[in-house]
Amino acid sequence: MTDLLQALLSGLALGGIYALVALGFSITQTTTRTLNFAQGEFLVVGALVSVAALLLLSDKGQGAVLSAADVTLWRYGLALLVSLVVLSGMGVLLYLAAVRPFVGAGGMSWVMSTIGFGIIVQNTALMLWGPAPLVMPSPLGDSVIRIAGAGVRAQEILVFAVTALVMLLLDHALRRTKVGKAVRAVAANPQAAALMGINVSAVVVLAFVLSSGLAGLAGLLIAPITTASVFMGLSIALKAFSAAIVGGLTSPRGCIAGGFLLGCVEAGVGLWRAEMREITIFGLIILVLVFKPEGLFGRPVFEKV
Amino acid sequence: MRVTMQTLLQNLARSHGAAFAAVALLAALLPLLLVNEFHLKIVFTAAMYYVAASGINVLVGWNGQKSLGHAGLFAAGAYTAALLTAQAGWNPWAALLAAAVVAGLFGVLIALPSLRVKGPSLAMVTIGFGIVVEKVLTEWQEPFGGQQGIYGVLPLTLGGRPLDMRGWAWVMLGFALATHWLLRRLLVGRHGRAFKAVQASEVAAESVGIPVYRSKVLAFVISAVTCGVAGALMAQQNQYINSDFISFNLSVFLLLLALIGGPSVLGPALGAIVLTLLDAFLARWPGLQHFTYGALLLFALYAMPQGLAGALGGFVQRWWPRLQRTQPLPDVPGEWRPASAMVADASGVMLRATGLYKAYGGVVPTRDVDVLLRPGHVHALIGPNGAGKTTLLNMLSGTVKPDKGVIEFAGSDITRLSASRICGLGIARTFQNLRLFGGMSVVDNLLVALTARAETGFLAQLLGLPAARRQEQAAREEAVRLLRFVGLLGRAQEPATSLPYGLQRRLELARALATQPRLLMLDEPAAGLNPQETAELTALIRRIGQMGITVLLIEHHMDLVMAVSDHVLVLDHGQKIAEGTPRQVRNDPQVIAAYLGVDEDDEPVAAQPQPHKEPGYA
Repeated sequence: MTDLLQALLSGLALGGIYALVALGFSITQTTTRTLNFAQGEFLVVGALVSVAALLLLSDKGQGAVLSAADVTLWRYGLALLVSLVVLSGMGVLLYLAAVRPFVGAGGMSWVMSTIGFGIIVQNTALMLWGPAPLVMPSPLGDSVIRIAGAGVRAQEILVFAVTALVMLLLDHALRRTKVGKAVRAVAANPQAAALMGINVSAVVVLAFVLSSGLAGLAGLLIAPITTASVFMGLSIALKAFSAAIVGGLTSPRGCIAGGFLLGCVEAGVGLWRAEMREITIFGLIILVLVFKPEGLFGRPVFEKV
Repeated sequence: MRVTMQTLLQNLARSHGAAFAAVALLAALLPLLLVNEFHLKIVFTAAMYYVAASGINVLVGWNGQKSLGHAGLFAAGAYTAALLTAQAGWNPWAALLAAAVVAGLFGVLIALPSLRVKGPSLAMVTIGFGIVVEKVLTEWQEPFGGQQGIYGVLPLTLGGRPLDMRGWAWVMLGFALATHWLLRRLLVGRHGRAFKAVQASEVAAESVGIPVYRSKVLAFVISAVTCGVAGALMAQQNQYINSDFISFNLSVFLLLLALIGGPSVLGPALGAIVLTLLDAFLARWPGLQHFTYGALLLFALYAMPQGLAGALGGFVQRWWPRLQRTQPLPDVPGEWRPASAMVADASGVMLRATGLYKAYGGVVPTRDVDVLLRPGHVHALIGPNGAGKTTLLNMLSGTVKPDKGVIEFAGSDITRLSASRICGLGIARTFQNLRLFGGMSVVDNLLVALTARAETGFLAQLLGLPAARRQEQAAREEAVRLLRFVGLLGRAQEPATSLPYGLQRRLELARALATQPRLLMLDEPAAGLNPQETAELTALIRRIGQMGITVLLIEHHMDLVMAVSDHVLVLDHGQKIAEGTPRQVRNDPQVIAAYLGVDEDDEPVAAQPQPHKEPGYA
């Protein structure tokens, strides 16, 4: 019983990360029908840039190791700001270099070009930071909080809380604000949105900035749990995409639910046999695709014949 | 001298056999000229990647599927050969064969999701497959050896002796040439056309009788077998394999081979040679190597959408057009004739649909509609925009499955059959928004339909047996007669989508006729046609009707409907509100209220595409 609760708690933290990245997939998918296949590498850059920013803030040289005392909450917040700025720039660059030339051209050249962008990003990061994982202590310390016998780290609670907050904010912004309505209008029909006076290219760039920013935030949040490694991107992005498929790629709320669901499944299977995690998750995806291809919360799409 | 050289080259380009012999001769001589082991290894590697790439090219370039998990299939072949020789003591040649079979089975596995998902989701699922294989190989020490890998893989032997490096280069080049020979046979024939048709439009491919899912699985299996064989040969040559080599990067590299080369028969060879040389050249700077692949992925598709082969082809077309060849069409006399006889059930009804019902969310385009079509008649289906005409036609042709109701054709239930099976029974259709196979010529569009359900099998095609050649010839003759019938013979070799709009509509009609239908369903064939084209179409539909083909016609041009039809069905808001002879329908007060209430002269809706109604569609 304690085991199950433990799996649920760590699953929610892990799921929060998946949900953030999945939401990033969903935003660009609905507005441009494209996905950033370099999302995992963006997450890595988010983590690495914030480590670099924290080192800078604590007056340590790059290449030094962060100690727990170096990471205070306000420094962590500043690092977030730095990584968001960097990631926004990368999002714009990705859109201009890898997505815009292929949008609406049919085929899926943008899949290849975003992967190519990701490979370049990964190798740049490899040159700057090297292959060894970097340690980032949590701003909330290493203490373990006990809930009914199950232990949970403060950082895991932070991940869950931040994820929940971001979701609520985004959900509100998309449904209630003028910009959010513009984003949804572009998602529904770019031509009609343009005719209504919405600046579609601005909305699309905003979508890529948002999506990249979410990946950066996820990187900052997960680094204290797993350390920041150049090679962690692909696996996280893949599971986040799986989460988006399970929940429904076109439904932001579905992506969030899918993220948490997948995080819990992964943690649950990990209790039983750690080496079966990937196989179970991808088996689950195939089941979802066979029985409910639009995702658990997505609306079916009809192809007009 | 220059002239003879030119003729020689032209002959080489025109005759595949001669070009193949020349390349084979080069391949036999090349290893003799090289003394350096490293250079021989490069030849081996390029030939190995060619084998893998030629299969991936079928999947990516011809069938239009993207896979980023082919490292998993490469691994399936490599580890099968490794385990069978190193641990079970199999003969290396037998192990190679087994590797091809096992990889093929994995190919079926990776193809399964392609039934349900397309595009980016499929790409993501294939990445997932590759990652799972990688994890299993890394983490399951038994039997895969993890990162230590498997030592003692037995190399291929010839005459009882293991191959030396020069022998490996020869054997691998032999495999490459054999792969090319077999796949080329397949791709220039009906399978190649079917792959291209599926890529151009799955719905249209299914409607002319191509089982789309089977075609995709076949493409996946072909690519799996070639990747598996390449993997097995690499493991056997190295006599060692470990999990480090099986990574996402390998999947990207394999896909890059096909993309850089381009979607033609020659593409994979160019891709394999260029990338292997690049790889060998950049090996000194591993960091730069990955940068280069990233940059190639990022920019190559932008600069050369058709790959190296496409860029080269464009160059040749501009500077040396005589090298381009189009196979001349046979000159056959005679008029096109439908081959199939009329069919009907015991009570003389060809098609009977009862209680058809279809809902998309809250929209109900078809509500309890009955349809009865009689053999030899021309039926018209009319109604205002949004009345549910196209949905009804989609259900009758199997493109869309009804929620409720039964469709019987010649007495047998076809409600749950796939569109390609229904086409095989003798129901053909055209589309309201044209769905020609883009990127194919006019005559190829017909050949797709003419050979979609041909009897000669995969092996006959692969080996180029006489039966396959005879069938190809018969199909080309039939295509000529059919083109003459619809008046398109003069434009047979032009790209289908470059025809004027009216002729494109006629080509779609011809493509439907090519499937030898007993029932031909036309969805607004006159939409967008000018008055003269409409008059020609009216005459054509009349002739088709007189030949004994039953017609169901959706149309807004009332002149056309009244002129050709024996029986008219009227739909409004998903329900049938009237049916009968044109005269009866014309005088029906309900029809006048719903539809003909407007003056016949101003019929502004006919030429415009209908707005999309379904939720979630964009």
